[in-house]
Amino acid sequence: MKRNTLVITTVLFILAAFAWAGWANWEYRRQAAERLQATATQGELVLDASGVPQYLSPLQGKPAPPFTLEDLSGNKVSLASFKGHALAINFWATWCAPCKIETPWLIDLRNQYAAQGFEVLAVSADDIDRNDPKKFSDEKQEIARFVQRMKMPYPVLIDADSISKSYDGLDALPTSYFVDRNGTVVAVQLGMTTKEELEKNIKKALGIVK
Amino acid sequence: MSRKLEERMMIAGKLEMRIAIAAALALASALVHAQRPLFEDGPRSAAKPAVVFLYPEQVTVPATKPTTIALHFRIAPGLHINSHTPSQDELIPTTLSIPAGSGVRLDGVVYPPGMDFTLPLDPNTKLSVYSGEFTVQARIVAVPGNHLVEARLRYQACDNNACMPPKTITAAIEVIGK
Repeated sequence: MKRNTLVITTVLFILAAFAWAGWANWEYRRQAAERLQATATQGELVLDASGVPQYLSPLQGKPAPPFTLEDLSGNKVSLASFKGHALAINFWATWCAPCKIETPWLIDLRNQYAAQGFEVLAVSADDIDRNDPKKFSDEKQEIARFVQRMKMPYPVLIDADSISKSYDGLDALPTSYFVDRNGTVVAVQLGMTTKEELEKNIKKALGIVK
Repeated sequence: MSRKLEERMMIAGKLEMRIAIAAALALASALVHAQRPLFEDGPRSAAKPAVVFLYPEQVTVPATKPTTIALHFRIAPGLHINSHTPSQDELIPTTLSIPAGSGVRLDGVVYPPGMDFTLPLDPNTKLSVYSGEFTVQARIVAVPGNHLVEARLRYQACDNNACMPPKTITAAIEVIGK
């Protein structure tokens, strides 16, 4: 009788420990999903091999949506003018702290792979007010000061909001779309990851790796 | 041992076994539940807000006299928002406002102090942020009567890897000026 009780108690204890571990794992995955849900809207959340939610853009594998935007000097720049280049269309903003961390990596990698036909198009998501010329000018100057401070050597365009609907809503920054020489989106990076991950996606865009 | 006592012990043992099996099945079903996929309902549709207004839903204040009310908000786990006094000029501060014409005027706001925060990959840059729950003390002046006030909280939220665009949420409060 006593032995039965001991065995049953031990089995119940082990099962309780497993149940707690299962709950803790589920709670961790739920909070990770909640965090990702707070930043992503139009994409899907899919589980990677380790069961952690990852962002999958609807644009993956599709042609990059065309656009024409202004640079800081007021010149119109179109995506089509970069046909034949591998691109990273990088959406960022001056108020985005992770963007400030990622930008030096992008600059290094752009300089490293430029000779192979790679370019970065940096599109600012800072608010601009075209209806107020003075305010518009001040806003562009603020972006320009940031660009100078970060020493961005690539084209910087403004008014990301005007193309946000075609680019998954842009509800989190930084977001980068890696486009191959045929204009197809081969990878999308939502949020800052690592310099290695950026380089991997640049190589995909260049067709060096799959 | 008497036969009756032996029979009672056997019944007790069988009952004990049944209780144990029932408990094991309950625990096993909890394990199954914990392992189910997070997204079995399909792709998500709308993002949850990073900040929500908690309370109060209704306050009574002396009419025409400045009165301070405490507005409580909660930030989603894993996210932070800039405080009212962020550490850099280009960062967007958290601010509270009340639209004109509601019968209630915002006379002043006391924001909580921000918490020092650094991103893991940039430990040299200190940010001033709010996280978890925070309270804003709003000094209001209400004319007599019942007023539905839609106070606005503007904020800009980030986690360790990404930032969301600035957003404004509404804190709906019924203010009764007596």
